[in-house]
Amino acid sequence: MSDAAATMTFHPQPQPGPATPWAFPAPERGQLPNGLTVLRCHRPGQQVVAVEINLDAPLEAEPAGLDGVSTIMARALSEGTDKLTAEEFAAELERCGATLDAHADHPGVRISLEVPASRLVKALGLLADALRAPAFPDGEVERLVRNRLDEIPHELANPARRAAMALSAQLFPADSRMSRPRQGTEESVERIDAAAVRAFYEAHVRPVTTTAVVVGDFTGVDLDAALADTLGAWTGSPAAPRQAPPITADDKGRVVIVDRPGAVQTQLLIGRIGADRHDRVWPAQVLGTYCLGGTLTSRLDRVLREEKGYTYGVRAFGQVLRSTPDGTGAAMLAISGSVDTASTGPALDDLWTVLRTLAAEGLTDAERDVAVQNLVGVAPLKYETAAAVAGTLADQVEQHLPDDFQAHLYERLAATGTVEATAAAVSAFPVDRLVTILVGDAAQIEEPVKALGIGEVTVVTG
Amino acid sequence: MPMGHTATQQAGSGGLTATEHRLANGLRVVLSEDHLTPVAAVCLWYDVGSRHEVKGRTGLAHLFEHLMFQGSAQVKGNGHFELVQGAGGSLNGTTSFERTNYFETMPAHQLELALWLEADRMGSLLTALDEESMENQRDVVKNERRQRYDNVPYGTAFEKLTAMAYPDGHPYHHTPIGSMADLDAASLEDARAFFRTYYAPGNAVLSVVGDIDPERTLAWIEKYFGSIPAHDGKQPPRDGTLPDVMGEELREVVREEVPSRALMAAYRLPHDGTREADAADLALTVLGGGESSRLHNRLVRHDRSAVAAGFGLLRLVGAPSLGWLDVKASGGVEVPDIEAAVDDELARFAAEGPTPEEMERAQAQLEREWLDRLATVSGRADELCRFAVLFGDPQLALTAVERVLDITPEEVRAVAEARLHPDNRAALVYEPTAPEAAEADVTAEDAEETETAQ
Repeated sequence: MSDAAATMTFHPQPQPGPATPWAFPAPERGQLPNGLTVLRCHRPGQQVVAVEINLDAPLEAEPAGLDGVSTIMARALSEGTDKLTAEEFAAELERCGATLDAHADHPGVRISLEVPASRLVKALGLLADALRAPAFPDGEVERLVRNRLDEIPHELANPARRAAMALSAQLFPADSRMSRPRQGTEESVERIDAAAVRAFYEAHVRPVTTTAVVVGDFTGVDLDAALADTLGAWTGSPAAPRQAPPITADDKGRVVIVDRPGAVQTQLLIGRIGADRHDRVWPAQVLGTYCLGGTLTSRLDRVLREEKGYTYGVRAFGQVLRSTPDGTGAAMLAISGSVDTASTGPALDDLWTVLRTLAAEGLTDAERDVAVQNLVGVAPLKYETAAAVAGTLADQVEQHLPDDFQAHLYERLAATGTVEATAAAVSAFPVDRLVTILVGDAAQIEEPVKALGIGEVTVVTG
Repeated sequence: MPMGHTATQQAGSGGLTATEHRLANGLRVVLSEDHLTPVAAVCLWYDVGSRHEVKGRTGLAHLFEHLMFQGSAQVKGNGHFELVQGAGGSLNGTTSFERTNYFETMPAHQLELALWLEADRMGSLLTALDEESMENQRDVVKNERRQRYDNVPYGTAFEKLTAMAYPDGHPYHHTPIGSMADLDAASLEDARAFFRTYYAPGNAVLSVVGDIDPERTLAWIEKYFGSIPAHDGKQPPRDGTLPDVMGEELREVVREEVPSRALMAAYRLPHDGTREADAADLALTVLGGGESSRLHNRLVRHDRSAVAAGFGLLRLVGAPSLGWLDVKASGGVEVPDIEAAVDDELARFAAEGPTPEEMERAQAQLEREWLDRLATVSGRADELCRFAVLFGDPQLALTAVERVLDITPEEVRAVAEARLHPDNRAALVYEPTAPEAAEADVTAEDAEETETAQ
């Protein structure tokens, strides 16, 4: 509509006003008499309070052959207590307008409660009962096991989840818990019963190794009294210190095609392991990974999406698997996305070209500047809600990081130069040390992928 | 019987206020101050969605939304994304049946940039729109369709249900993503005509929420948007009037490589903006929202016939709203057994209505969902635009939760009796074609709108 354009008055791009200082909130750390650690953070205006519970019950603590017992335990915590049946518990929780989610991962079990502040005390009581006195009724656990078994085919059918399982199986040694699905396999889940769930609970769940993070608007809430009456009433034995085994991975460059005859797209997952948050390189790695594939204006999408139209979007990311101060932790570093089947070969070719160009020429100062401005600038947006703040604080606890880690991360990002970011990105994604998983139609993609020379190509059935 | 179990004194509005303004070219503006966090959200709703598309051009509104990110007179290429992200902001756009929205959340001191960017594309998109962008974004959108719908098990269920619930020729018969054939057929001239018709200041509402100075913000809006010429070429959408109920059960059996049997169904429900729609929301929550719902208790807990069972509500203004049932069967369970149990539960509910406890739970759940939407400046900005565009009054956003809390159990029972029966149902039955697994889950929320960036 050139007529409209001609009559609109154009003005030069405006310049920003002075920024209002913002800092990632500092929590108040304390301990209840039973040893349970509490981090609290008052966020005015946040009427939905977020509570994150960390249980020091890592997946590697699951007994041999019982992969998935931690997941079933996490789910079973809300299936009845010494006061309420499973159905009554669900009803009471929803009567508070609350949501409660629990999941088991490598570092431990996480439980997330969200509830309007006016009903926090009631919901904390329910949460505390679930932790203190779960009933683990035989029938409910058996039902959760059957339900879990029914979920497995749905997960295997999902291209992104299937790719993630294949990558873990490729990267990690078979005796590492990390090589196997977090929520167990059909074979291992079949073996789980209420006795196994209770044994896992008895061995690994106690107040002294539990942390509760509570974030929201506490106006009119007596949080000390509420905590004392709820989580404070939980008793348990002391715990022996836990030793985490080092994480190792085989990242020899290779390609595994998970065959899906007739698939209209190929799901890509290209990964290896690398530095976690305890490593000094972390801020540079965050910056470099963002420049490579953090958004649709990053290097990968500039070519694969905005120039070639091969994909709706490809992302590069670093996701901590387990992070410990002794340096034995690791993060999964990966590139993920999906491309139409016919473009699989050309898209991977371009992707490798992007990585080689990055290694040869490095990032530009302009790219680094924009990345820093985004990563630092979005912090007040990202942490508007109580749930977002609680989630990050709980991640820090789980990864044995200081409570001010995130606050300082922004200063460290701002102090990271182009050279360091380039070095970190290149060492995070070396072209010859990447394991490529392709979930797609092998008959159509195998030959084009072999021709790229990015590693030996194996086809497995879907 | 009053059911005022409110979680907050302000019953969800959190003490919010909003002011309304209108520029000479017809652009409506809604401003709402909140200085707790130094952020500001800009949200722009255009009153155009997939219901405005014509036969043979499904998906055009959404494809066009992508083109809005390809540059305008003063913004080169991907500049919109680059400038917002470089300013520490986040942004996106989405398209649904009834509207297209664009939004930026900015650090408060960068608000003016977002207004400048939105004005530039509202006033001058066509000077930058070219064949290269069109071809590229056509491919991107086709890959979006593959990724979100075609390459996912049950991924096209929502599209199939919509096509059954709204008959051929009805403006809501197709979903916003459109068909591959129509995406291929869309031309640059179609896109230009779409912009000229619908992207007018008088067909949009702009809201700005957060740490703002309203006077200065309004001055910026006047400066950047005020000179965009008014134009009024918009055709009203085709009539979406339909009988309240389908009048018979519609049924389709899909034989595909999916991991398990499934029963999905769509029910025609009252139009959004009515007490009956809020009553329907509560009915669906009691029946199929969360782990204490009747269908979850019956199918997942007691009968153990389902992996998951739930109801979703798609609120619509220009056509009957859609209630969406989604039940994934447990291994070995036949769909007729699930169907009989669902019918049994729905019939009992239509006869007895909710218990006081169920009513309290459902209202508490919907209230929390509302508090969640209001917890961010972008959520508030979007709600203000929604009520301004669809109902002509942004203030209604601030009282929405009170209306839900005002509904009586009898109203909930009545809407269930009138609408949640087999003669008002389009049922979609999935029968897996191979014993081995294929792929996984989709929800109503995923399928009802599409967006520019994932």
